[in-house]
Amino acid sequence: MFKKILIANRGEIAVRVIKTCKRMGIKTVAVYSEADADSLAVEMADERVFLGGSLPAQSYLDMDKIIAAVKDTGAEAVHPGFGFLSENAKFAERLKKEGIGWIGPNAHAISAMGDKLESKKLAAAAGVSTVPGFKGEIVDDQQAVEVAGDIGYPVMIKASAGGGGKGMRIAWDESEVREGFRAARSEAKSSFGDERILIEKFVEKPRHIEIQVLGDKHGHVIHLNERECSVQRRNQKVLEEAPSPFLDKKTREKMGEQAVALAKAVDYDSAGTVEFIVDPNKNFYFLEMNTRLQVEHPVTELTHGLDLVEQMIRVASGEKLELAQKDVTIKGWAVEARLYAEDPYRGFLPSIGRLVRYVEPAEGPSGPGTLRIDSGVREGDEISMFYDPMIAKVIGQGDTREKAIDALSAALDRLDVAGLQSNAPFLAAVLDEPDFRKGAIHTGYIAEHFPDGFHGTAPKESQWRAFVAASALIHTVFVERAARIEGRITPGMGDGKPQNWSVLIDDQQFAVEITLERGLDGGFAATVYMPGLAAEPVNLETGWKPGDHVFEAKLGKESFSLSVEDRTQGYWLRHRGFASLVRVYSPRVAELAARLPERPEPDTSKQIISPMPGLIVSVAVEPGREVKAGEVLLTVEAMKMENVLRAERDGTVKTVSVKAGDSVAADELLVELE
Amino acid sequence: MKPILEQLDDKRAAARLGGGEKRIAAQHEKGKLTARERLEVLLDPGSFEETGMFVEHQCTDFGMGESKIPGDGVVTGSGTVNGRLVYVFAKDFTVFGGSLSLAHARKITRLQETALKNGAPIIGLFDAGGARIQEGVDALGGYAEIFQNNVLASGVIPQISVIMGPCAGGDVYSPAMTDFIFMVKDTSYMYVTGPDVVKTVTNEIVTHEELGGASVHAKKSGVADGAFSNDIEALAQMRRLIDFLPLNNRNKPPVREVYDDPARVEPSLDTLVPPNPNKPYDIRELIVKTADEGDFFELAPDYAKNIVVGFGRLEGQTVGFVANQPLSLAGVLDIDASKKAARFVRFCDAFEIPIITFVDVPGFLPGTRQEYGGLIKHGAKLLFAYAEATVPKLTVITRKAYGGAYDVMASKHLRGDVNYAWPTAEIAVMGPKGAAEIIFRKDMDDPEKMAGHVKDYETRFANPFVAASRGYLDDVIQPRNTRVRLIKALRTLRDKKLTNPWKKHDNIPL
Repeated sequence: MFKKILIANRGEIAVRVIKTCKRMGIKTVAVYSEADADSLAVEMADERVFLGGSLPAQSYLDMDKIIAAVKDTGAEAVHPGFGFLSENAKFAERLKKEGIGWIGPNAHAISAMGDKLESKKLAAAAGVSTVPGFKGEIVDDQQAVEVAGDIGYPVMIKASAGGGGKGMRIAWDESEVREGFRAARSEAKSSFGDERILIEKFVEKPRHIEIQVLGDKHGHVIHLNERECSVQRRNQKVLEEAPSPFLDKKTREKMGEQAVALAKAVDYDSAGTVEFIVDPNKNFYFLEMNTRLQVEHPVTELTHGLDLVEQMIRVASGEKLELAQKDVTIKGWAVEARLYAEDPYRGFLPSIGRLVRYVEPAEGPSGPGTLRIDSGVREGDEISMFYDPMIAKVIGQGDTREKAIDALSAALDRLDVAGLQSNAPFLAAVLDEPDFRKGAIHTGYIAEHFPDGFHGTAPKESQWRAFVAASALIHTVFVERAARIEGRITPGMGDGKPQNWSVLIDDQQFAVEITLERGLDGGFAATVYMPGLAAEPVNLETGWKPGDHVFEAKLGKESFSLSVEDRTQGYWLRHRGFASLVRVYSPRVAELAARLPERPEPDTSKQIISPMPGLIVSVAVEPGREVKAGEVLLTVEAMKMENVLRAERDGTVKTVSVKAGDSVAADELLVELE
Repeated sequence: MKPILEQLDDKRAAARLGGGEKRIAAQHEKGKLTARERLEVLLDPGSFEETGMFVEHQCTDFGMGESKIPGDGVVTGSGTVNGRLVYVFAKDFTVFGGSLSLAHARKITRLQETALKNGAPIIGLFDAGGARIQEGVDALGGYAEIFQNNVLASGVIPQISVIMGPCAGGDVYSPAMTDFIFMVKDTSYMYVTGPDVVKTVTNEIVTHEELGGASVHAKKSGVADGAFSNDIEALAQMRRLIDFLPLNNRNKPPVREVYDDPARVEPSLDTLVPPNPNKPYDIRELIVKTADEGDFFELAPDYAKNIVVGFGRLEGQTVGFVANQPLSLAGVLDIDASKKAARFVRFCDAFEIPIITFVDVPGFLPGTRQEYGGLIKHGAKLLFAYAEATVPKLTVITRKAYGGAYDVMASKHLRGDVNYAWPTAEIAVMGPKGAAEIIFRKDMDDPEKMAGHVKDYETRFANPFVAASRGYLDDVIQPRNTRVRLIKALRTLRDKKLTNPWKKHDNIPL
């Protein structure tokens, strides 16, 4: 077994690998870029080596520097994580030449599976079901039409070297094939420098289901069943689960057998994933093979009771697989959500920056299941522009799919993120959707269910109750505490007398009567009577106290957690996908508030003015561009400091009066919005 | 007896109706509450004790003799905010447009005198049309007497003004002399002369909002300390503000029960200051993570954003935070920032509120605009305010403390009680590059040599230890322990006694 391993990666996956190494008694070496100098992975590793600049090319993709780091630290093997060099055959080859262990498949397997055309040919030869299509290069549009006719419409025209949706076209008839072929080819050439084009059957409403395989250096290959990753947004996986709610035993076995056959065909000797698309009739077709650990590997680990990173290390060191196929069984269910630094309310714009507040829910019991969190950040860390803006992977586990989903949803409600916007409300909204709960998902699920983007979910009856009870308790705590302040000439409040409030949420108004008691352990208990929402008074118990941003409570028999922000205008509460500003007034103040007409939000400045003399560093927008409030418009350097100027409101850019490099005077008009 | 008692009830009901139902409806239509409704929101329920309800004006000119309404355009009295005594007056726009007569003025001056004598804050709610022109010089005299009382009360009891409608001419100067002015967005404006006069005199065409709306005073002029979206929000926030303030200058600020832990450590503050010295960060994060429960009442958040001021609590005790804001203009001190902070420091000093200063300042802002505007004298205001203050002064330098701005920002040399710095602090006459370019001017053309000089200067001064070795800092502390260390330091200063030499008053550079 290796004594020391270098992890050629960063963030969450580096932390993940280090944890397993620590458990196995293996020393670890972290490598890092400038941006990651203070990262958790660097802190946790036994040794650390600085690679270079924050751009991946200057650090995590620089093979020379990484190999030098291996030699300097005396590490015996490299774990590449995912992304960066993980599927780089050249890197695997070089390590082999240098006599350094590679915790991944052999270079031959990597390169064989790296090319889409090649891998398909190999798969077909190994008896793997592939999408009906032409196994070869299409030379002109005439051939494209013929091939399409043979396969049957609709067809998918795509670049051989493609990925991420670039150079992809769907055609439903001859003319669309001709047009699509030309467009795809020119896009392929410009995007990938490779104009080879494939045509294959287009599968409608496909599901993305993949098989985890595991091989050793002694010719053994097993599979660890499937993961379903159908919930995607623009080809980016959002939710992943194991097992799939769709597969039956027979299909699962068939897919598993074929995946193993393909792996054996390339002498696969590590953890890998064979991706399939599955049509509504459970026909499955090979998509590609990923010759590395997948982001979503935890759901397989949780349902199979093993550690894939450990398995990878063991086989890389030459050990034989301990597990035989017959020993592999699925236990329970696991669902993973990718928590991203992006703003679901603003078209999923990246929302990078400092994690001003970041408190993860505790691992372990969560709702009716358990929780695992894989993350590589702490409060105060920066989600930087240089790398993937994933904050963490939040994974719910339970005996059943329902319980796993509930465990995950409960965890997302206990998550406290501030300083940047996360996609947690969106994740929670999807997890709450009836179709998702039923398992009726496919790769177009998000586009279909959120055609106009995400704007929060409509509240349910139980959420009204939770919001009203929670805000009444919070408000009562504040009010009664304030009434005990020093220097009074009247007695204080809060002697267990009931308080009456009027709670305003959106355009709804709820009456509530609450009697507050201080609970044990510093928390609070109360009797809450909400005539419009519950026939009887209910008990509310919470460990929340002023200053906390998560409100975990039990209301009657319902347990829930809310995010809480105390703002000037009221309390900002969020539960699952529903968020709202909640105002708590005395009945009299509510009566007075009702006398005032609703005023539209005042129009703030449309002009962005230079705050001081300085130099324009960069301009992020151009006329005609739609911007959202808070979006960066331009950066001005003054006093040798960069000032980021943001849009104060949503709007369209009318004029941009400056360009990068311009010197500007104070109060100079820089950008005007319409 | 019964009819006589009923007569009182009738008279009261009539007085409470002010200018009548039609005018009340019009007031609501404009998005404003009436004077009495406002007091209901501001004060504890049932606590308002009205005085002068039956006061009427004595004017007989221009037919005023026939037109009398009890209360005469202003509602006055006392009440409580969370059980603590306050005096209030609220201009009643429904009665003669809230205009000021001699009788109206007398109601206010009497209230001021009572508040001063009994040592309780006075809060004025403004929504009025200025002097009652029919009364002539009587109204002017009334104003002056109010101003006189404002001045006598200044520094003795907190005085707060909330502008909730028009406030023009003579009406603006009473708020101007109080400690804080707040406005309601879209429904309030204040100016010395209105758009009509402006047009006649200067040919300038402006709207009420452009001339004196909340957006002007809370952002550009700095006249207002904050703006709120409606009457209810504004008044609720006044209740929050009053909880921070002592009733008068003989009382200490009130202590309020806390749910926060005095031993709370904030590891994330260790990475607040970015490794790149030219990268900004939000100093409010430090304030919020230092204050009890993250509760911070910021004043003038949209004006002179390069300095942040406001109230918070440590162990339940009110403190005033003053902090340079690197996010805006690199946290530089300019005219506006100096004035904003100076006024806040003097308020804290007047009312025994300890001042906590977070320093990250690259210096004073250079340029003709600033110099022509009198930066020397305005900058001196902040220096003066810190130097004369005798309340506990605690200072933490987080990053830059360059040049004269280092001196100004509650340095040890200005009788700072406890002065700390983070390890990331750089205390120097100027930034390393600028310094090296002056000291080694002869090597200007040799970038390699210059880089060496810069590095040398950095090693020598871009750290807190030189200052610490001179005793100008009491300690260098870990960022994560800032709250804990400030709390411990503040405990030692509970009975701090320091007095300035006797004088009639000082002569701050106004």
